[in-house]
Amino acid sequence: MLHAKIINLSKEKIKPENAEEFISSSKFGASIVFYGTVRENNENKKVTGITYDSHDELVIKSFKEIYNEAEQKLNIKEKSVFIEHVKGYVGLGEISIVIAVACPHRSEAYDLSRYIIEEIKKRSPIWKKEHYENNDSEWLKGNPIQTY
Amino acid sequence: MKIKLELFGASKDLSDKEFLEFNLEEKSSIKELRKTIINYVDQNFKGNNNLKKIIETSAFCSEDNNIISENYQINKDQKIGIIPPIGGG
Repeated sequence: MLHAKIINLSKEKIKPENAEEFISSSKFGASIVFYGTVRENNENKKVTGITYDSHDELVIKSFKEIYNEAEQKLNIKEKSVFIEHVKGYVGLGEISIVIAVACPHRSEAYDLSRYIIEEIKKRSPIWKKEHYENNDSEWLKGNPIQTY
Repeated sequence: MKIKLELFGASKDLSDKEFLEFNLEEKSSIKELRKTIINYVDQNFKGNNNLKKIIETSAFCSEDNNIISENYQINKDQKIGIIPPIGGG
């Protein structure tokens, strides 16, 4: 079971309680909720916030692919996964991504949670523009997406 | 052919709008589109090397949301997304 969504902050807020509600089931004995948040320092620069941009359709497509691959690559069949990523301006300490997973056993839940965030970093078309204390801002250098 | 180039991430520094429009010859490929965008940077941003590097390392995305190769043939007026190097989460 998968929930995958981009939260456009100009229209709505990210609600962490939705994640716990979605994965809650007595079928599962292990649940992990991961939050990515904006930190105050990056490469010795004082960060005041981050603007996230995304190609929404490709991002959702990548979330579905990552979810489906987990069965083959990690051999995790029974699972519930909730992924939401924000789009727009996020202040210090605020949430940019929520990944909630539930599996029958803890080792699967830890593996799955880690797998999802690492794969999103590698292949989901999401971009960050950091804003700094001196009012400068810059798009962070990322990794080129694979062209087939 | 008219190409509406949708801008994402760092490529948004190319315009105040969400997109750029280019005229390409019939049956152009992504390779030609990339060259056209680089020419645009030469003309409008004094050949800004950072912007050129972003374009050189970007992928492109078709109207039906597939990542397309360098040889992809553009046969009609369409929207294409430029996908700079990524790094969200």
